[in-house]
Amino acid sequence: MSPLTANEVEKDLADLWKAPSGDKTGDLGLQRVYTTNLVTYAMNYEAGFRAERILNDLAEHHPGRYILVRPSLEGEEPSLKHFVSGHCFIGSDKEKKVCCDLIKLVAGEGVIENLYGFTFALLLPDLPVEFWWPGDLSISNPFFQRMAEESDRVWVDSSKFSDPVGALALLAASWKTRHPDTLLEDLNWVRIHRWRALIAELFDGEWAVYLKEIQKVTIEYGDGTSPTRGFTLACWLAHQLGWGYQGPRVTFFPHELNFTSPHGSVTVALKPVPVRDLKRDLILAVRLETSGKRSGRFTVARSEDPSQVLAQSEIDGQKSFSRTVSFQHLHSNELLGEGLKHLQEDQIWTGTLRMAGTILEDPNSSR
Amino acid sequence: MQEPEMLENSLRQGLFSDRMPRPCSLVIFGASGDLTQRKLVPALFDLYKKHLLPPSFNLIGVSRSPLSDEEFKKRLRDALKQVDPQLSDPLWESFSQNFHYHAGGYDDFRAFQELSRLLDDKDQKNGTQGNRIFYLSTPPNVFEMIISNLGASGLASEDKGYARIVIEKPFGRDLASARELNQKLREVFQEKQIYRIDHYLGKETVQNLLVMRFANSMFEPIWDRRYVDHVQITASEELGVESRAGYYESSGVLRDMFQNHLLQVLSLVAMEPPAAFEADAIRDEKLKILKSIRPFDQQTIPQWAVRGQYGPGFMAGAKVPGYRQEEGVKPGSITPSFAAIKINVDTWRWHGVPFLLRSGKRLPKRATEVAIQFKEPPNLLFKGNVSDLSPNVLVVRIQPDEGITLKFETKVPGMTMEVRTVNMDFRYGTSFAEGTSEAYERLLLDCMLGDATLFIRGDEAEAAWGAIMPVLDYWENHEPEEAFPNYEAGTWGPLSADKLLEGPGRKWRRL
Repeated sequence: MSPLTANEVEKDLADLWKAPSGDKTGDLGLQRVYTTNLVTYAMNYEAGFRAERILNDLAEHHPGRYILVRPSLEGEEPSLKHFVSGHCFIGSDKEKKVCCDLIKLVAGEGVIENLYGFTFALLLPDLPVEFWWPGDLSISNPFFQRMAEESDRVWVDSSKFSDPVGALALLAASWKTRHPDTLLEDLNWVRIHRWRALIAELFDGEWAVYLKEIQKVTIEYGDGTSPTRGFTLACWLAHQLGWGYQGPRVTFFPHELNFTSPHGSVTVALKPVPVRDLKRDLILAVRLETSGKRSGRFTVARSEDPSQVLAQSEIDGQKSFSRTVSFQHLHSNELLGEGLKHLQEDQIWTGTLRMAGTILEDPNSSR
Repeated sequence: MQEPEMLENSLRQGLFSDRMPRPCSLVIFGASGDLTQRKLVPALFDLYKKHLLPPSFNLIGVSRSPLSDEEFKKRLRDALKQVDPQLSDPLWESFSQNFHYHAGGYDDFRAFQELSRLLDDKDQKNGTQGNRIFYLSTPPNVFEMIISNLGASGLASEDKGYARIVIEKPFGRDLASARELNQKLREVFQEKQIYRIDHYLGKETVQNLLVMRFANSMFEPIWDRRYVDHVQITASEELGVESRAGYYESSGVLRDMFQNHLLQVLSLVAMEPPAAFEADAIRDEKLKILKSIRPFDQQTIPQWAVRGQYGPGFMAGAKVPGYRQEEGVKPGSITPSFAAIKINVDTWRWHGVPFLLRSGKRLPKRATEVAIQFKEPPNLLFKGNVSDLSPNVLVVRIQPDEGITLKFETKVPGMTMEVRTVNMDFRYGTSFAEGTSEAYERLLLDCMLGDATLFIRGDEAEAAWGAIMPVLDYWENHEPEEAFPNYEAGTWGPLSADKLLEGPGRKWRRL
């Protein structure tokens, strides 16, 4: 049997969108739209199943050419198989159906890692190439390496890493050298965006003066989970506020980080607190306390209702501002969708990762 | 875009929405009216949900009706529930925690003094830093009264923070009254404090006209008299005069649509590239276009402008009354509900290219678009095989179904040389997963940020009045050329409008 070609896959896609025989108009009342290429590689069958569900959801909001590469089930034929499916949703004009497609490539060990060339052939030209790596970091995987070179951006999720400290340190230390032309993005960074926005708004206008007086930050997270989000948030604060890390490089997330700011020292405590739901690596509250003539306490904390957050500030013990905002849990497809909207390099993320690199020990370093 | 008033808050850098305005109070005059409930508060709520309202924000409704804060909030909440049935209690409580109501007559100076004290108090309590926006959502006959009292009570002063005034159209009812209104405004406010709203400018597609023209290299070289045959700008409405007969009888379609919306769109289509993407640079270029509109000669106006009024007809198969049968309309009214005007823009770029503007009520569908029709290609190559080639048309759809379509010729597959026109379509609704924002949302945010790019400057408003005054004067002093009503409701206006399109390949577009 001759090997599968990209043209055969494209032909299957063309057949998929062809009007049924008998329909002389040739118009299915739909429009195929592609705003991006998104390639996903799943390391195992379960991860592939989860990724497929996420891509299905994403395709119903964000039209693109989706390609999922996943391993076949144990015992299945290892040779390459392909499946195509169409996804449509009603556009925001509420008239036309907007449609795009998902190509699933399934192959066994020994084949799957080397499918990068075949994947390149399926990418649509003149559109950004996004590469989502949903699992644990594996930068030596040939597919990861070659796809990272070919992509505009690589998406990982640091909260899903089995060794987040080592992986973050490695990425901070070597990504730019390994892939100077490809942007590294982290879904975890998109996930904490709303925390950043809520914290930032507490310091708008006249409250901005308190930023330089921050002395203590407490980030509460669920006991028994890895504080990757809280740690990333701490690195963001340090980078944005010009704090320098004072302390030895570490191979674990410490409970306390000490920084120096141009105005004194700052302590960031990562504080585990008991939670009912241990499944999620949650930030529960962030509290920033200032010194200076007037003491300020700026808090963003989850309410009893987890879909809401209370943001408030107190100056000299007096409440000066308080508001409740909605805070729905974002699923991976929503995080990806949000991330895909913004194409430029996120300099703040780059700086935050750099800050993480000054704190965490690179597992590959000779020290 | 003009440098917005961003906050020096380094934590805001890199956020998806870093256009966060300073804390402020928004005072809405005419707060019990329809616009506040239907447009302004839903727009504010959308900004709130997107975290784009400043954390310290007061909304103060002013109106004559005696209402308590709670009654005012309840009205707003009930209206918002219609738009957003999912509205939750905690979200509403948080959104509306600094909403207040202040009852008072617009001619009552004491009410303005009390308002001033209320605002000072709210500044103190909520940290709004003396920044105030006064939104006049009232009938125009009380504009001057409110402006005077704002001045007399010191509320227009910028001693503590900024003070801005937002004015809804109409900006006067003719050139003289527009000048008078501008004069009154300038006695109290500086031009940089004045935000004249034309909600058309807040529409995504209207803003995209600038991006399409100046962020692409392929359109600008052919955007002139050498390639463009003519430009059609259409704003058609399905609705009749509805409950606005009182207003409409004294304004008509020219005041309602042409002086503001259509001439603004025309100026964006025709303007030269601005020196910078800043409010005044853009408005300077728009003004040049408005001033370059060739003055109409009173003697020949019927050759350049056609008016119409709808008679009874059918909309979606249902019988609808004619304009003169609408409630509140005089039986012998000669107020035009339709107009089509041919405009020449006397610039180097547009010399000899007619801009054809039309707008009307009770037309078959609601649609607003700009169509750039290019010159016909010489049919030498395909002569004998193909009948006439159709000209290329670039259509920018402003509403509904916002997007851009390019019409071009293509070969029909087969053994013969047959050519057919096809459309290449870009639709906002399909290319971007998220819908476009409401115009008021964008404009309110821009006003809070101090970005006047999408607002009309006083000299622009006057130039637009100046351009259409001869037609207005002529129509008000001469009986219609053909007896009214001269078009049936549900049709595309009077046939006499066709005479404006002389020349091969020119006809009104069927939308």
